[in-house]
Amino acid sequence: MSEAAQQVLPYRSAPGAAGVESELAPLSETEPLLDVRDLRTYFPIRRGVFSRTVGYVKAVDGVSFSVRPGKTLGLVGESGCGKTTVGRTILRLIPATGGAVRYRGTDFFAYKGESLRRLRRHMQIIFQDPVSSLNPRMTVGRIIGEPLEVHGLAKGSEVGERVAGLLQRVGLDSSYAARYPHEFSGGQRQRIGIARALALSPDFIVCDEPVSALDVSIQSQILNLLDDLQKERNIAYLFIAHNLAVVQHFSDEVAVMYLGRIVEKASARELYGNPKHPYTMSLLSAVPEPDPRPRKMRIVLKGEVPSPSNPPSGCPFHPRCPLTRRAAAEADAKDTVEIETGGERVRVLHKCVAEMPPLEQKQGEQGHVGACWVTK
Amino acid sequence: MTQPLLEIRGLNVAFNTERGQIRPVRDVSFSVFPGQTVALVGESGCGKSVTALSVLRLIPQPPGQFLGGQILFAGRDLLPLDERDMRSVRGRDIAMIFQEPMTSLNPVFTIGEQIAEAVLLHQKVSPREAYDLAEKSLRDVGIADARRRLSEYPHQMSGGMRQRVMIAMALSCRPKLLIADEPTTALDVTIQAQILELLRKLQNETGMAILLITHDLGVVAENADVVNVMYASRIVESASVEDLFDRPQHPYTEGLFRSVPKLNAPDGRLATIPGQVPNPAKFPTGCKFHPRCPRTRELATRSEPAKTIDVPVGGGDRARVMRVCVEDEPLLRGVLPAHGAACHFAENYDRAPEMLPMLDHRRQVVAGAIEGAAPRGIKLEEAIKTGR
Repeated sequence: MSEAAQQVLPYRSAPGAAGVESELAPLSETEPLLDVRDLRTYFPIRRGVFSRTVGYVKAVDGVSFSVRPGKTLGLVGESGCGKTTVGRTILRLIPATGGAVRYRGTDFFAYKGESLRRLRRHMQIIFQDPVSSLNPRMTVGRIIGEPLEVHGLAKGSEVGERVAGLLQRVGLDSSYAARYPHEFSGGQRQRIGIARALALSPDFIVCDEPVSALDVSIQSQILNLLDDLQKERNIAYLFIAHNLAVVQHFSDEVAVMYLGRIVEKASARELYGNPKHPYTMSLLSAVPEPDPRPRKMRIVLKGEVPSPSNPPSGCPFHPRCPLTRRAAAEADAKDTVEIETGGERVRVLHKCVAEMPPLEQKQGEQGHVGACWVTK
Repeated sequence: MTQPLLEIRGLNVAFNTERGQIRPVRDVSFSVFPGQTVALVGESGCGKSVTALSVLRLIPQPPGQFLGGQILFAGRDLLPLDERDMRSVRGRDIAMIFQEPMTSLNPVFTIGEQIAEAVLLHQKVSPREAYDLAEKSLRDVGIADARRRLSEYPHQMSGGMRQRVMIAMALSCRPKLLIADEPTTALDVTIQAQILELLRKLQNETGMAILLITHDLGVVAENADVVNVMYASRIVESASVEDLFDRPQHPYTEGLFRSVPKLNAPDGRLATIPGQVPNPAKFPTGCKFHPRCPRTRELATRSEPAKTIDVPVGGGDRARVMRVCVEDEPLLRGVLPAHGAACHFAENYDRAPEMLPMLDHRRQVVAGAIEGAAPRGIKLEEAIKTGR
């Protein structure tokens, strides 16, 4: 552990028992740093003069996973699948509808007031858009230094020294502290955002699409920086992205989301080498590869992601699923049913329409779970 | 030899700003042949979009200014045309689709009204026929229930659907050239695959040429026949897509290829290009890539000191590079057959002739696609893994 990480004394104080600080016993290899159970985030749909709630958008609907210290969990999915909401709900930037988040074994959702504020410094976030996430009226020095003062980690001239050190660590000149965000390019701004997240020496960072707004030649610089910081300071990442190649490169474990649920989760190598959910398969096959010759067989999914306010019955992927159609062609007629999707009638397995498949162990590596009736 | 449909020769565009003149397009030349897909690749601010907008003369003047060059479309120079003649070229001969379909569609008109307007403008048809053509063009881009969609407004549609509408509108007058400026950047991968597949299909059917503007090397590799790489407002490399990916000659192209994470590539650190994408207001001297270039630094370590020079490379750092890179901007030269690169230290550069990229090359392989259901006899999982 580096010096910086040792300054962090995580609190195991019970909720409400603010001020009782004790040094936390180090987590064992297998113990999760963060454990998310059955997380649900629903947004009410309101109509009419009295804003009556007429339904809910289930943006996150029963998501469970854990993140081990110093490791990265990648969360992939298309826009609207709920991956960003998961990240924000965990940090309590959006209130959860249900479920639990345990941080170092304590119930994070039960914290309030001062004790919550203290705990929060261990959990930080890096946003996608480095332009809108930095206050244009503050100098870079204030942006990075403010959290240090708020949390009482540094005072007076010490703040300046810490800021200079952080700037240097993320590859920027320490003289930049006096400048304003608009004076920097996108990649440099993202470095400032990273320096701000690092200021409080967190051990968990939500990286919400940290490189998707950046130029190609800059993306790899930022990814390498995040990688180095993780090794150096033993930081765990929840890495949210839609670019599968980036997620594969960066993550130890990957979870694929579709319509608010995790449909498949496995180690990065296993998921990409042995995908079990048809949605994962089609995502992988849809990635354009930077190689003009070996063309892979592509599954072009028909139709679009359905609205989360009115998800399809049974397996939410069934209207777009190529596997259930093929399976239906080979199955007994009594086990199949005809549905209408995207203006055409297709025959699918009855089970896929009637029942939600559970997230269960698939053939392959231990811990490779998928939610599909068709694949084994 | 077939004549190019679009031939750009020595295009120079300047913008006069309060802080002086900037030059987003410098000495750009390339051609697009009928039925061909030519990609213009580069990072933000490299000049690729300004080049595309110049073809349609959509650069506001002032502050924009053409400093010379020619844009020949089917042999006719577009630059001297007056606004009325230009308007008949836009939409009818050359159409364009943009990255953000929401801002390119008018929110207060229905889809039908917007497509029909384009049709009425360029074809001698009655309004009723225009609506029929609009419906047909929606069906062509794979929109089910086209008749009903005609009366919908843009906000009622998803991003992928709006991009289809944009394409339907662009293609409603059967243009000979489609300029697609980052057509799938705002879309999800599965929708991106649908749109690219659609563009390929429509190109096969109509024989139109596509000028594809993108920063995504994956999109380039799968769709382009010929690629022009832009850096700091110039074309720095030009070749067939196969040549470019097999034998990149410019250190910038090499760096780009290496720094992109690939599916199923071995783990480990990503290669990077150091430094920042240069700001057009403050271009370095000589070769615009020299402050970031690994090739010139490497060569400088084993050259005689007189041929090298110590220069600032941004962020307060300095590096020793080859003197010629700082003093002289290299031009695009044919360093390999039908393969141009603008680098003093590309193989053969000293002996190579100057080159205007005019490559009537078509890629051989056509991608197979499984639409909706997998065809019988092919195991889906296998197909993905083996890359069949």
